Amino acid sequence: MNDFIIGLTVIVSTILIYWGSVTFYKKCRHIYTAPIILSTVVTIVVLLIFQIPYETYMIGGQWIDHLLGPAVVGLAYPLYQYRDMLKKMLLPVVTGTFIGAVVGITSGLFLSKWAGFSELIINSIVPKSVTTPVAMAIADTSGGAMPLAAVFVMIAGIGGVLIHPFVWRYFRLNHYIGRGVGMGSASHAIGTATSMERDDLEGSISTIAMVLSAVFVSIIAPGLTVLLL
Amino acid sequence: MNKAVTIIVQLIGLYFLYWVGTAIQKVLHLFIPGSVIGLVLLFALLSLKLVSEQWVQKGAGFMITHLPFFFIPATVGIISYAYIFKGKGILLIGIGMFSTALVMGLSGAVAQKMTRRMERFYE
Repeated sequence: MNDFIIGLTVIVSTILIYWGSVTFYKKCRHIYTAPIILSTVVTIVVLLIFQIPYETYMIGGQWIDHLLGPAVVGLAYPLYQYRDMLKKMLLPVVTGTFIGAVVGITSGLFLSKWAGFSELIINSIVPKSVTTPVAMAIADTSGGAMPLAAVFVMIAGIGGVLIHPFVWRYFRLNHYIGRGVGMGSASHAIGTATSMERDDLEGSISTIAMVLSAVFVSIIAPGLTVLLL
Repeated sequence: MNKAVTIIVQLIGLYFLYWVGTAIQKVLHLFIPGSVIGLVLLFALLSLKLVSEQWVQKGAGFMITHLPFFFIPATVGIISYAYIFKGKGILLIGIGMFSTALVMGLSGAVAQKMTRRMERFYE
């Protein structure tokens, strides 16, 4: 019974914190105030102030965690919506995204291995370019840490949005296909949201790249990791 | 209220596909997460018209709009891993950013080059 009340309190407070963050973001649109960042920071501050252990928080948090799987399944819907565009631009989008998946896995793996980090960290950094629920699932099956994987996903997402003007200039990305594939492959949902704000076409390509990237990375990451580690 | 019921029913459907995906993963000993198998499964069902777009529209739309909500507990978990970013760990942020720049630049450049070639071909 006690667990039930704790769980319910956690779920209700998480909904309230999330709702508050979304409302704030609508008024103050900045990448640092994105709902996921704001909600996470507020929740951590609350846990620290009231000295609530993470395990206690997770009595309710695990119920929200359970819904991550169906949320990923739901990503099939936007992919289906943009199927006509996907058909037309299949080869460039698929090839670009596949190369992005390979580059992301190998560069993350080699750089962190070089710097001498543990396998737990390496396995958590490998799936960083895909959307959080998928990255966490990959990290979980390959011996990484799910929360750590989520943090690297945030670094790839926010980092990508911050540096994309320089990357675009350096690689001369000026076509919406190149830009969309780059944003979706490297910075998943956070990059896609940024693309969507600028241009519908670029945003749709980014959505496709983000979903394809999730599929590619989850298929090739385990094999490449075993091979290269 | 009607809309809420529709969303909940469709969420149960998505949950069922997730469950099927996880079952496939376990039976075939795959490394691909069950959720991604479920995604591919749903895309196939939609493409084959075995599942109507309207059956998933509201549920999937709701989940995607509020996607950040579902991973709050996971990102809050950083509380247990904050120590990793102390000292040398700060390097990991640089590694993450550099690797992200490479992914963005190379994937975009390849896609753009191929598109340009195709456009020239069709002209």
